[in-house]
Amino acid sequence: MEQHYGKTEITFAALAGLLYTISGIYHIAEGIGIDIGIYEGMARSLFISGDILGGFCLVVTGAVFLYGFKEMMQGINAGVSFLYVGILMSLVFMMIYLLIMGGNLLDSFIVPEDYEGWSIMETFRPGIYLGILSIAGLLYWRDRFSLHEVLALREGA
Amino acid sequence: MQERTLDFIEPETSVKVLKVTGQKSSRKRILDMGLTPGTKVEVIRRAPLGDPVKFKLKGYNLSLRKKEAETVLVEIIE
Amino acid sequence: MTEKITVALAGNPNVGKTSIFNAITGSKQHVGNWPGVTVERKMGKRKHKDVEMQVVDLPGTYSLTAYSLDEIIARDFIIEEKPDIVVQVIDATNLERNLYLTTQLMELGTRLIIALNMTDLALAKGDSIDVQKMQEFLEVPVISTIGSRGGGIEELLDSVTKEIHRTRTSENIFVYGVEIEKSAEELENVLAEDPYFSHYPSRWFSMKLLEGDENIIKKAEESENYPQIRKILQRTDADSFEAKIADQRYKTIQTMLRQVCNINTDRLSGSDMVDRVVTNKYLGIPIFLSLMWAAFEITFTFATPFMNIIDIFFGWLAETAAGVITVSWLASLVGDGMIAGVGSVLIFLPNILLLFFMISLMEDSGYMSRAAFIMDKVMSKIGLHGKSFIPLIMGFGCNVPAIMATRTIEDSRDRLITILITPFMSCGARLPVYVLLAGAFFGRDAGIVIFGLYALGIFVALISAKLMRSTIVKGEDTPFIMELPSYKIPTLKGSILHMWERGKIYLKKAGGIILIGVVGVWILASIPAPGSGGTFASEEIYGTTDSMIGFIGQIIEPLVAPLGFDWKIAVALLFGVVAKEIVVGSMGVLYGVGDNEDSLSEILAAGAMTPLAGLGLMVFTLLYVPCFACIGVIKRETGSWKWTAFQLFYGTGLAWIFAFVLYQVGSRMGLFA
Repeated sequence: MEQHYGKTEITFAALAGLLYTISGIYHIAEGIGIDIGIYEGMARSLFISGDILGGFCLVVTGAVFLYGFKEMMQGINAGVSFLYVGILMSLVFMMIYLLIMGGNLLDSFIVPEDYEGWSIMETFRPGIYLGILSIAGLLYWRDRFSLHEVLALREGA
Repeated sequence: MQERTLDFIEPETSVKVLKVTGQKSSRKRILDMGLTPGTKVEVIRRAPLGDPVKFKLKGYNLSLRKKEAETVLVEIIE
Repeated sequence: MTEKITVALAGNPNVGKTSIFNAITGSKQHVGNWPGVTVERKMGKRKHKDVEMQVVDLPGTYSLTAYSLDEIIARDFIIEEKPDIVVQVIDATNLERNLYLTTQLMELGTRLIIALNMTDLALAKGDSIDVQKMQEFLEVPVISTIGSRGGGIEELLDSVTKEIHRTRTSENIFVYGVEIEKSAEELENVLAEDPYFSHYPSRWFSMKLLEGDENIIKKAEESENYPQIRKILQRTDADSFEAKIADQRYKTIQTMLRQVCNINTDRLSGSDMVDRVVTNKYLGIPIFLSLMWAAFEITFTFATPFMNIIDIFFGWLAETAAGVITVSWLASLVGDGMIAGVGSVLIFLPNILLLFFMISLMEDSGYMSRAAFIMDKVMSKIGLHGKSFIPLIMGFGCNVPAIMATRTIEDSRDRLITILITPFMSCGARLPVYVLLAGAFFGRDAGIVIFGLYALGIFVALISAKLMRSTIVKGEDTPFIMELPSYKIPTLKGSILHMWERGKIYLKKAGGIILIGVVGVWILASIPAPGSGGTFASEEIYGTTDSMIGFIGQIIEPLVAPLGFDWKIAVALLFGVVAKEIVVGSMGVLYGVGDNEDSLSEILAAGAMTPLAGLGLMVFTLLYVPCFACIGVIKRETGSWKWTAFQLFYGTGLAWIFAFVLYQVGSRMGLFA
């Protein structure tokens, strides 16, 4: 049987999988206050803050990528669908984070007294910048995401 | 050829419907959805918690709980 | 001259019927209920070439049996109201099962037109369909449409205007074999003798008799000729006939399909690939939960600024009104009563609009049925359908949109139970009450207490569902037979229309009840108590012991005394019906600390109440009468005051029992004294 994926797909799944899983775990660790050996300054520069549920979502996205990686390494053709769904999921979460960011910004104009000393970057999350990777993936594989109304993640064939 | 109920069929198996038993209301609905005798049905997969089950027939996807699948007699297509 | 006709839209669920309906009628739509039931009915108007069409959207059905309410509604409408034209919307990517309904519509003797929808997708999938041949075979017009982009709608309407003037020539192309045909003919002869049956298409009627359709047999029993009918039916075996008839219909369809189209079957479709991931054994549930989080964040977090705008606007409006109106009682009525009332209706609008936008995305994309597929095992344990899970989760944000979200549940009993138990999910408005009380009484352990309350809510909801299933909402379980439609990219237009429709329904149908409730409480809080000598609606008496509500609180004190509550708590709970977070505010007023939550917390911790009574109050707040907005939507969605009243008494009764047991047992054991 013809293989429907190559090194690019496998590498992307591994990379995105690791990045999402690690950011998600850090989010959760910050959220429940466990110190897992990350420098405070590093957490801040990566915009990782305590967010247990949001962290869970990133871990799930990462797991989807890694599952696809595992299946593709085993030579399962349909494994590539985990990569596509992973990309879609990460775009959904990117969208959500951006909307929440916008909502907070709007709210800071409406009730400024609740937002003293607040800066928009407090709502900037890894979910946003990691999404850029998925945008690149979406563009790279755009012919697989059919523009017809069916999400025809075609089999590459 | 062995007669079995649809809930016992392992995923990724193709079967042929022999008969639909069970209560009139559910039997009628199952027939209406196209599980008429002779129809080829593919068992795709079980839900993460084991129930319901996803089937493919007549070019579309259908899900039944095991309780409903139990009322469909089938034979495995070799 | 304009002609007026009725056009009914029929079709399977998930075939894009709504998008065709929207494309035909545009914004001229009216959403109501079918008479006597809570199944939704959409109607719209369209004028095309001097023909004025009243378009009725029938419920989406796979068949026309008597076993589901939707199907009975659809077929009764066709038989009783005799629409001039029935347009069946067909999913071109799924012809075989869709045409099954066509066979039944043809037997009903309707003037049928087929809208072959999503033809673009069928093409993309690699199918080819010969529309001309299909038309010849079925002897009805077949029009290709692409509903989501409005393609083919003009042609469809042209065909409607042409078809109304044509005498129907289509004959029954479905022959069911000698045995069935012979009995059918006999039945038809008997039916022809009694004018009572002339109302029904005779062939269809006799087929339904042979299938053992209960609804039709009941109708036949009213005829004088019933003994003769029964004699024929006794000779036949309905069970085997029904299978044979279904089988024959599918066989005819297959014969036709072989001639008119070429379906590409040997490829793993995009939908199958997505399903492999989202219903994966290990990842399916986590993916579902993470998407729920996304929907939750949008519905509640993203809504905050919009709710603040509404809040601030109405606060400003009330103040301005109070400043302009010099008569003090009138100022209070307008400001604290009416404007605050309208505000409390509108405050939920952002939540409702956003939740329905998210739900619409999930439904239109096809993910909703996967969610039901994934969660069904859990929900079936308490006798509910997988689709009940989403409203219950949304209930943690706000019960009001959550109850409206039960619309997605098809079975009316499942829906009713889901509506009745949703108020037990701890909504966002109850949280401030917990935070204040748990913080005041339990300090460091507040988190655990709050978590316990959420868990208690879930527990009560689950037990109640199970209980109701086996007592008051009995009946055999509806079979779980659910299609998992292909994934589609939802259209923004469709989702916005859906969201707007829900918002309108909320304002129209629930708004009035909420407004009356809020103004009612204002009146009670403003009328001086008998013998207190205060002035109506003066600031001094508003909501205090000198007001009517304070008076009522004192009267009902003996009722709540066994729970460890005094009259102040009783009054605060009465106010809480306006919105649960008000419990905190009114306690502040009643304990004489005004709006200051910190001092309220200090007073409580200092011994105004025992921690045990405080815990009881939290439990009571969780379970008792939901807020007015919630009552309003329960009434609207169940369509019955009886069930609304039931929820109120059941919830309040449970609240009382839980708080009673907690306080009595707890104080005997010396807990949290």
